[in-house]
Order: sequence, then structure tokens, then C-alpha cells
Amino acid sequence: MSHPKTPHVVDARYMEPPGPFVETMEMLDTLKDGEKMLLLLFREPHPLYKVLRQNGHDYETELLPDGTFEILITR
Amino acid sequence: MLSFENAPPFSAPLRFFLTAPLFAVLAGLLLVIEGPVVFTSRWTPGALAATHLLTVGFMLQVMLGALIQVLPVVAGADLPRPLALARAVHVGLTGGGLLLVGGFWFGLPWALAGGALLLGLTVFLFLIVMWRALLGVPSTSPSIRGIKFALLGLAVVVGLGLLMALALAEGWPLPLPLLADLHAGWGLAGWAGVLLAAMAYVVVPMFQLTPGYPARPSWWFPLAILAALLVWSIGVVFDLPWLVRASQLAAAVAGITFAGLTLRLQGKRRRAKADATYRYWQMGMVASILALLMLGIAAVWPAASELDGWTIGFGILIVAGGFLSFIVGMLYKIVPFLAWMHLQNYGATKATAPAMPRLMPDVEVNRQMQAYGVALVLLLAAVVFPDWLGRLAGLAFALANGGLAWVLFRAVGRYRQAWLDMTLKLAIKKK
Repeated sequence: MSHPKTPHVVDARYMEPPGPFVETMEMLDTLKDGEKMLLLLFREPHPLYKVLRQNGHDYETELLPDGTFEILITR
Repeated sequence: MLSFENAPPFSAPLRFFLTAPLFAVLAGLLLVIEGPVVFTSRWTPGALAATHLLTVGFMLQVMLGALIQVLPVVAGADLPRPLALARAVHVGLTGGGLLLVGGFWFGLPWALAGGALLLGLTVFLFLIVMWRALLGVPSTSPSIRGIKFALLGLAVVVGLGLLMALALAEGWPLPLPLLADLHAGWGLAGWAGVLLAAMAYVVVPMFQLTPGYPARPSWWFPLAILAALLVWSIGVVFDLPWLVRASQLAAAVAGITFAGLTLRLQGKRRRAKADATYRYWQMGMVASILALLMLGIAAVWPAASELDGWTIGFGILIVAGGFLSFIVGMLYKIVPFLAWMHLQNYGATKATAPAMPRLMPDVEVNRQMQAYGVALVLLLAAVVFPDWLGRLAGLAFALANGGLAWVLFRAVGRYRQAWLDMTLKLAIKKK
């Protein structure tokens, strides 16, 4: 799945925990420094945010009208 | 999302989850002892005691315990000493709840005032800790905003409750029936309803694999409820019955909209199997919509609330049918998940945790749910036929909640056994 913001997308909207966390960390591992990936979820993943901050990754979150949180993560 | 380092110890929320069903068992036993009279008026000592056994003893217990657990996950706000907070709040809620209920049931002013003061103090402590944790946390999601608004509702419902308990105990001349309605409004809509919505935005899509709640209505629902309650309060203070009724109608419409939206989302779920959480939530939504229709009808046609059994029926539908169903439905997801998560992190890569259905088997959960459904129908029928069914409904309700306690305690027993087994495995591997 691709997206205007980045070709690297994890659509975790219908995924049970811990799927979204695991798939995001796995995709981050495949990216080069400075590359971006997008995580789509119906909630804000605060525990993931914490791990991202600890690992020095930036992220930006946008709430869409349908309730999707788009989290753009920079490796 | 799974994250262990943010999670408080299992015993922090668990103590609340295991205590709550015991209060509901007491409520059922109270109906058995008191019999039909409880169904005749909301003002009888038995009805007041039963109401608070469920709202304070069951609902408040689980809600505060769950908030201690989920605040880091839902709001990203860490509580400094979750276990110490859980211990203090649990003791205060349990002791205060029992005293308050004893005060109502046996007509003891000292117990009523003491229980209310202890509950007030406990909730005040809880609110201070929450406020400090949430200070500086921006409302980036409807859930965070909802939790903040719900805590405001909690402050008001407890403040009003304390005022009324002291007025009853000390004989202060206050318009108690008007204040009691307002207290119930802030408690059920401003605190429980808004917190439920804030949690539903996260757990319904996560547990039931539904689409998300649309952003705009989720953002505005908590504010709409609080605005309606503020207007209701103004109506009470300035003695404007039409304003009170208009705000009750607005709250009912907002509640029905939320419940209808949730049912629509559940209809689009991607999980093929209808599990107990889904069924409990459906039961809760249907009961809540019926209760809110009654609230709306009484707002437009006030004479309705004078009909025999109207208010008691409303109370059973919204509390036992609505909120308890939502809460039990969530407990059946949260307890096995937390047990599994703590085991998984204990074993790490060296020992495997048992799967969640092994910790809490579907067959036990489904049996309890059927018992609860029967009890609810009996309770509602007892409103119409209190002499025939009052005691039987109480017995059924006590048994169904005893079943809930049994399911939860059994899951904890299996969790402890699995912990021991894993300890043994880890020790052997070390050798």
C-alpha cells in the first residue's frame, strides 16, 4: 500500500495488538536514516510514541475526519 | 499497542476488578432480603442502598481501577506510583462505599456522613494525582479530551453527593429530590457516560475490529454532555423547570446518537465471531437507548416519571442494563489481556505464556453472560410484578455477579499457576 506522504505504509486499522507495534518496528528496521513511514490507526499509540522518542525518531500525527490517526514517522 | 514499561503492576487494577462483582452480589442479596418494597420507590432505604452498591461499589471501583491502568496507554500520561495510588483508592472506595450503603440501608446518619466523607476524600486524592499527570498533556485525541471532561464530571457528582449526604445526616434544608436528579445526571452522563465514550473511541475499534469513531462527533460528544449538565444545573439553581427538562432532552439525544453510532460501527466489524464483549456491548447499547428514550419522554411529558415503576425501570435499564454490561464486556477483554501481557513479559523469549482463551475460557464467560441476561430480564419484569419476581430477580442478579467473580478469580488462579510453571521452566533453563 502506498500513500502520497510516503510509499512505506503500515495500515494497522483492523489489526489486533501487538500487531501494529510489531509491524511498525519491523518496517522502521528496513528504512534508511531520514526515510519516512506512515502508520494508520484508529487510536493514538502513546506507548509506541515513547519508544520512538527513546530511539530518536521524529513523528507527526494527524487526525482525519473518519477517525484515522495518520502517524508519519522519520527514521 | 503493547508496552510493558508503561504498565502498572497487574495487582494495581486487579484489586478493583475483583472487588466490584462482590458489591453487585450484595446488591442482589439486598433485593432478596428487602423484597418487593425496593421496586416501589427510588427513595426507599433499600433502593438507595442498592443504587449505590452498583454505582459506587461496582462502577466507580472498576472505572478508577481501569483509569490507573490505561492512562499511560490512552493519554501517554504516566502516574508516579500507580500501586500506592491503587492501594489507597481501593481501600477508600471499598470502606467508603460500604459505610455509605450501610448508612442508607439502616438509616445511620454517622455512617452516611462518614462514608460520603471517605469517598469524597478518596476521589479528591485520585483527582489530584490525575490532574498532575494530565497537566501539560495536550488533548490530541477525542479520548484524552473525554477523560479530562469525565474527571470534571466526577468532581461534580462526588461534590453533590457529599453535600446531599451531609444534608441528610445533619438535616440541612435542601431540595433533595431536585439535587438527587442532578447528582444522578452528573454521575451517569457527565462522569460515567463521558468516560465510557472516551474509552469506547479506543476499545471498540481495537477489541471488535470496527471502523473508528468519526472525529467530529467524538470530539463534540463530551462537550455536548457537559454543556447540557451545566444548563441543567443552572435550571436547578434558578428554579427553571423548563430549562431542566430541555437539558435532559439534549443529554438524551446526545446519548442516543452516541449509542446509535456505536451500534452502526459494530455492524461493520471485521471480526466474524460475536464474542462476549460484543454481545455485552450490544445488550448495553439497547438497554441504554431504551433508558434514554424514557429520559427524553419524561422531559417532554413530565407526568410519565410519576407512573409506577418508571424511575426504577429507568435506573435498572441504564445502570444494570447499560453501564454494567459495558464494564463486564470490557473486563472480559482487559483481564485476560493484562494477565497474558504480564506473563509474556515475565517469560520474555525463554518461556511462552499460555494463550488468552486458556486463561479465561469462552465457555465460562458465555455461561456468565447468559446468567446476566436472564437476571436483567427478571429485574425489569420485577418492576411490573414486584411481589412475584422481586426476590427472584435479586437472587438471579446475585448469582450472575457471583458468576462474574468466579470467572475473574479463576482467571487469576490460572495466571498464578502459569507464573509458577514459567518460573520452574526458567529455573531449569538457567541450570
